[in-house]
Amino acid sequence: MSVLQLWLNLGLNTLSLASLLAMLTVGLTLIFGIMRIMNFAHGAMYMFGAYVGISAAQWAGNFWAGLLLAALSAAAVGAIFESGLLRHLYKRDASSFLLITFGLSLVLTESTRLGWGSNSRDVQLPEALAGVVFVMDEPFPLYRVFLIVFGLTALGILAIVILRSRLGLLIRSISQNAEMTQALGVNVGTIRTLTFAVGCGFAGLGGFLAVPLITGYIGMGSAAIIESFVIVMIGGMGSFLGSAVGSLLVATTQSFGNFYFPDLSLVVTYLLMIGVLLYRPGGLFGEEE
Amino acid sequence: MKYAVPVVAMLAAAPFALQSYQVTLLTEILIFALFAMSLDVQMGYARMFSFGHVLPYGVGAYACAFALQAGWPLPFAIAGAVLVATLLSIPIGWLSTRASGVAFAMLTLAFAQLGYAIVFKWNTFTGGSDGLTGFARNAGPFGFEGFVSRDGYFWLVLIVVFAMYWLARGFMNSAMGRAIVGVRENERRASAIGYVPRSLRVVAFVVSGALAGVAGSLHAGFLLFVSPEILHWTQSGHVIIAVILGGTGTLIGPMIGAALIVLAHHQLSAVTDSWPLVMGLLFIIVVIAAPKGLWGIKASLAARISLRRARPAGEKHAAS
Repeated sequence: MSVLQLWLNLGLNTLSLASLLAMLTVGLTLIFGIMRIMNFAHGAMYMFGAYVGISAAQWAGNFWAGLLLAALSAAAVGAIFESGLLRHLYKRDASSFLLITFGLSLVLTESTRLGWGSNSRDVQLPEALAGVVFVMDEPFPLYRVFLIVFGLTALGILAIVILRSRLGLLIRSISQNAEMTQALGVNVGTIRTLTFAVGCGFAGLGGFLAVPLITGYIGMGSAAIIESFVIVMIGGMGSFLGSAVGSLLVATTQSFGNFYFPDLSLVVTYLLMIGVLLYRPGGLFGEEE
Repeated sequence: MKYAVPVVAMLAAAPFALQSYQVTLLTEILIFALFAMSLDVQMGYARMFSFGHVLPYGVGAYACAFALQAGWPLPFAIAGAVLVATLLSIPIGWLSTRASGVAFAMLTLAFAQLGYAIVFKWNTFTGGSDGLTGFARNAGPFGFEGFVSRDGYFWLVLIVVFAMYWLARGFMNSAMGRAIVGVRENERRASAIGYVPRSLRVVAFVVSGALAGVAGSLHAGFLLFVSPEILHWTQSGHVIIAVILGGTGTLIGPMIGAALIVLAHHQLSAVTDSWPLVMGLLFIIVVIAAPKGLWGIKASLAARISLRRARPAGEKHAAS
């Protein structure tokens, strides 16, 4: 394998990983933007979505049914959390939300363990995605190409909704000034619930899509939440561009790092975050505090 | 403080009345209580929510383990480990306090994860995922062996934990401790008076880290085994739960919260293995319904009782 082929392969790996990470972190960013909540339960949503998706895919014998249900179930749990619990606590400061959502993540993770058991689970890929493609004569899993395309499409749709639709306009205005938006006759509560649900839905989607790469296990959520916090902090809390760039940076560090310095790739990821935050405490694209 | 003497006396007498596994449990409680109290110094008094408090704890534990392996007497090993944890807390505190709020929480988390990754991967030095074993509670200078046995170690832990509580209390009541609280309450006013908020935050962070280092080194001497698990970020979450459950900014509250958590874990693990579910639910309820924690409930109850006691006298006065 020539260096060029190797780098192409690593580059494609980076892109597929980045699109998975971006699906996870875009939900965090969406939720943070509109509610100033750093959702600690996001990793648990990711794991929960994966488990529901795996069961649904098994039951229906269809990968796509699993995909749909992964997103819907995580979104439903998110909507229940928000409307049942978080909504009543908006007067509290940001740190107490970190604590409450941390509690939620414990509860959700443990409930999933009770429901599904501790064994790791896998999902059968549909035949259309199971093959390999040849990129410069080197085999590359088709599923990873699918991840890149799917991730870009999903993020593109989200971007269009936020930037071009009326709903997106309301979401942006709530994130700038919730009281004023409320005063203009918008039902802020409903939109918050919806946004929270969409953010969690993206986490569930990402969780299910990660299963063919890493298999589903209970601890996948707690690994993912730390990673996505790192990304969000690098990119800047509340910035969509930031979470995209952060995902790309972290994915690059991990796929190239795992090849060239496997023992240090984690260390380098954290050093990257610390370095960025020391240079710009608000993250690359975040507002200075 | 008025209950301090009877409580410590009762605890000190405990090994004579309790079975050996109960003494072990009590030692574990005391160490976790010290760990929770150390977090309260920054979380309660300076409102700095560190999600990486396992770092000084874990570093203290590993440093103590290394020192014991090298044959240092236990008291020196503990002192050395605390020094290492304190020195490490200075640059990390200085860097982390560049941010505040959620960003501070995330930065401390990142530093702790960095520590976890290093300990986990650096096999030749730290033993990797197997951790470190094969060390003992070396007798002190002049051959003093009082703390080598289980009961003896319990007494050592009791003395150290009480001393640390007393020190932390003194620190929080000192001029500097008051200034830290002042910055928490009103940063602008505090800096207008001439305090430097950032320096005070660093001080709170370092004191908190030093105390956590004490708890960590006691942990190493207690289990005579350290593994990367003690640096796992979920442990930072557990100690936060202990602090919130007990009541922030009270020092004693987090110690009680920690004791309850260890006890509940011990009792519940016999019945069910979904202990995190119970803890998560309990934690959510406390954060929502009683943000001041159990000690806060106790304080407000005490205030209500004293109010009720005072009232009849006042009414009589008004009638006459």
